[in-house]
Amino acid sequence: MSLEQFKDRNVGTQEYRHIQASTSPKTPMEKFTQVVKRTFSKELFVGLKVVFTQMAKGPKTWHTVKYPQEKLPIGPRYRAIHKLLKLLESGNERCIGCGLCEKICIADCIRMDTRYDENQRKEVTEYSINLGRCIFCGYCAEVCPELAIVHGPRFENASEQRAHFVIKDDMLTPVDALKHQKEFPGFGALSDDADKKVKKTPLAY
Amino acid sequence: MVKFYLDGKEVTANKGETILQAARRNGSYIPTMCYLSKVKPIESCRICVVEVEGTEGFVLSCSTPVVEGIKVHTNSQKLFQHRSDIMKMYNVNHPLECGVCDKSGECDLQNKTLEFGVDSQEFSAKDMHRPVEDWGFIKYDPALCIMCEKCVSTCNEIVGEGSLQVKLGGYGSQIEFTGDDCGNCGECMAVCPVGALVSENFKYETNAWELQKVPAVCAHCSSGCELFYETKHAGAFTANEEKIYRVSNDFEYKSLCGVGRFGYDVTQRGGKDEKEFDAALSMLRKADAIRFNSRISNEEAKILQTLKERFGYKLLNGEAYAMQRFLKAFGSTSGERYYNGTLEDVKNSDFIAVIGTKVADDNPMVKFHMNMASKNRKARISYLHPIEDASIQNLVTQNIRYEVGTEEGVVALLVASLLKGNDLPSSVKDYFEELDIGNLSAESNVGEEELERLERALVRKNAKTLIVGSDLYTHGRAENMAKLLGLVQKYGDFKIVMIPSGTNTLGVANICELDASAEGTVVGYNAPGDYVIGMDGQLSTPPLPQQEGTLTTIDKRVVPTNAAIPFEGYTLNDLANALGLDAAHTIDYTVQLPKKAGYKAVEFDRLLEEYRPYSPEQNGYLLQNGAESVAMDLEEIAELPEYNGTVVYNCDPAGQMGALSAKSKNLCADDALLGSQQFAVAAKIKDGDTVRFEINGEKFVKVFKIDTSLKGVVAMNPLFSKGLSGDMLCSDYRFHKVNINVESGHNE
Repeated sequence: MSLEQFKDRNVGTQEYRHIQASTSPKTPMEKFTQVVKRTFSKELFVGLKVVFTQMAKGPKTWHTVKYPQEKLPIGPRYRAIHKLLKLLESGNERCIGCGLCEKICIADCIRMDTRYDENQRKEVTEYSINLGRCIFCGYCAEVCPELAIVHGPRFENASEQRAHFVIKDDMLTPVDALKHQKEFPGFGALSDDADKKVKKTPLAY
Repeated sequence: MVKFYLDGKEVTANKGETILQAARRNGSYIPTMCYLSKVKPIESCRICVVEVEGTEGFVLSCSTPVVEGIKVHTNSQKLFQHRSDIMKMYNVNHPLECGVCDKSGECDLQNKTLEFGVDSQEFSAKDMHRPVEDWGFIKYDPALCIMCEKCVSTCNEIVGEGSLQVKLGGYGSQIEFTGDDCGNCGECMAVCPVGALVSENFKYETNAWELQKVPAVCAHCSSGCELFYETKHAGAFTANEEKIYRVSNDFEYKSLCGVGRFGYDVTQRGGKDEKEFDAALSMLRKADAIRFNSRISNEEAKILQTLKERFGYKLLNGEAYAMQRFLKAFGSTSGERYYNGTLEDVKNSDFIAVIGTKVADDNPMVKFHMNMASKNRKARISYLHPIEDASIQNLVTQNIRYEVGTEEGVVALLVASLLKGNDLPSSVKDYFEELDIGNLSAESNVGEEELERLERALVRKNAKTLIVGSDLYTHGRAENMAKLLGLVQKYGDFKIVMIPSGTNTLGVANICELDASAEGTVVGYNAPGDYVIGMDGQLSTPPLPQQEGTLTTIDKRVVPTNAAIPFEGYTLNDLANALGLDAAHTIDYTVQLPKKAGYKAVEFDRLLEEYRPYSPEQNGYLLQNGAESVAMDLEEIAELPEYNGTVVYNCDPAGQMGALSAKSKNLCADDALLGSQQFAVAAKIKDGDTVRFEINGEKFVKVFKIDTSLKGVVAMNPLFSKGLSGDMLCSDYRFHKVNINVESGHNE
């Protein structure tokens, strides 16, 4: 793809379509005339006709989304509130506690606590994202080597308490919802041809 | 000086310098994986090879000395290929767990893999099961180990434990822990270039890049080792609360003992308790004396001294008082204010005599330096002490066991031997001739043939060191012993090193005019008293790791230390200001340290460490050694006292250093009374008995354990668990005759 069209900064010579705007009333008399004209012309009934026709046809043809009961699907690259995924097979947390998200976070809103657990593994004991500070840049999801932290589709940040969003358990896939957990296709995910890019190590055995 | 060519440039090398050292000094980079400046070249990585014109093949730069006129090339396509092949080998089956590895971010393997652009692997080997091993404080993961052998060399050449060895087995080679003597110093862990050795309390706690390094000086003993407190916020949900996660140091050149490395969790959180502050103030207003220990900075000592000058307090600090008197008496014959040796001198000696200290426990750094002398200079080491120390038997060439309490006689005999053949003035010569050697030898149990052997060991030695410990300072006849030792400094070609008993004992002895005793109300500062300020006290003040100030070390060096983490409460300076002194910060007193004791009027902020490439940093400044008026008033050796029956020796084990380190949860030394089988018989107790005894009114209830490495009827009594009152016992002679009562038997 050529970058020519982006490099052309000569604004005004492109093919723009100019719209002729109607003139607005100036004197009080002109304004009054406009109000009277609009009130008694048929414009009101044009709108009402549409409403009554739809009402008569019934809900099957309605296009209204009943937010917040209904929501439109959101694009996979949309960066809303983070989710922490689990391993599909074992149900263990994917996060290995490497701390890269904490390091890369430019808003400095991620903090985690890790420890040496009984199984001699690194365990993440606390994980918090301060959504009051988060700028939803997506770096954490991009840097995560385990695809453990991703951006989910939940974009409503309204709550009585900010703390409602920053606790690990709220972001983590619940055990019963594990079978519904989908592989994340968005930011930071492996590309479709990732397998082809892997270099193999020779094995002598 | 040797001239040679480095990458076409003519440079000079010092005599005996290796190609690597000369190249580094001249700013040429040669990569290494196994080279460690403080030990002999290990030669296991083969990555430091260079090309020398006229020589076939590659030359190992780390171990090849420079020869006049050679033409060295440190970089070529062939060398790069060779080096990157080695890096590929290192990466064969190296677990891809950088994500969780504690070394990630400061890992030599990571850095060099990146440097040589190793992004594919042509080599392979069948992987094998290598389980993680538990080495006490430290976990060893053989799968991560690259077999550079730095740990083994450090353990042998620096620490002197020899607890590690290489288990050869081709691809299955690994480091083997032989265990028993390990003093948990963590030196192996510090030098490990990868994540194979990690301490249990740091493993998986945080990442290297998150930690902030605070340069400081160890608060536990008088060696004043430089270290870094590595700090970070204390947890995910804590605001403004810092925590020390680990201690690191300049491991290329310096070392730390276990207490310094792991005893960092002694910090406190403080708040401004105004009521308690007023209470402390009113106590101070009516107090007659201030008792304090030596775990304070020079500046705090100066504050106390200023308070004394202004308000007439008596200052009580038994151990520093003993040291002060000892140094004064020492100066009256040596003509100099201070002893003339440093740890560096110990390291470079070929003859070392040690008297009056259980050195491996009292000051591990002195022991490390003795070991370096033993390994590098083949030093002969004579160890004079009533208790043979099994932990340094591999260094000591001669053990001289004397009777408890006879130190004065032993010092006289030792000094006579050390000065034999030296040109002495007639008065001194007469003094030694009049010594009743036969009697002293019989009383102290130091055989004349033992002294002869010591004298023979002295022949043809040119770097001789005498190490003196706190058994002598606190002895009833300390001053005469100091005078005798002064003669060694004046007339002998000896370096003398005196081990200050506490962290800043030397500093306190220099700065404060101490009193022998006091009556009336006593306020304790980190010490027992009618009202206690500081550690374990009613008003808490920052412990040494949370203070900035300077310390005076065993090397007579004034070193700056910084506060690892903030302390929100009151300091001694606040109290002094409320009493009427005027200084915004404690460190304002740094310039006021007494010039007549050799301190320089340098501001604290100008004392920062100086780092130069490929050399250890220079910290602070050395005290000026001043002249003292000489008065040769040697006294007759007094009647040597006898200590019969059961005697205990107040001595913390190597894993503990008094009341401050006792607060650390990382350190876990045994608090038991340790004695030999012979002691058990004499005291009529058995292994595992709970015994009760009393020293200077201080009651002890302890479990008795038999230590088969001990001999004789002296038992080791650790004081650290006693806290502040244990510290106070350090101002007394360390041997005590006690009555041991069995409290409860060991039920089997």
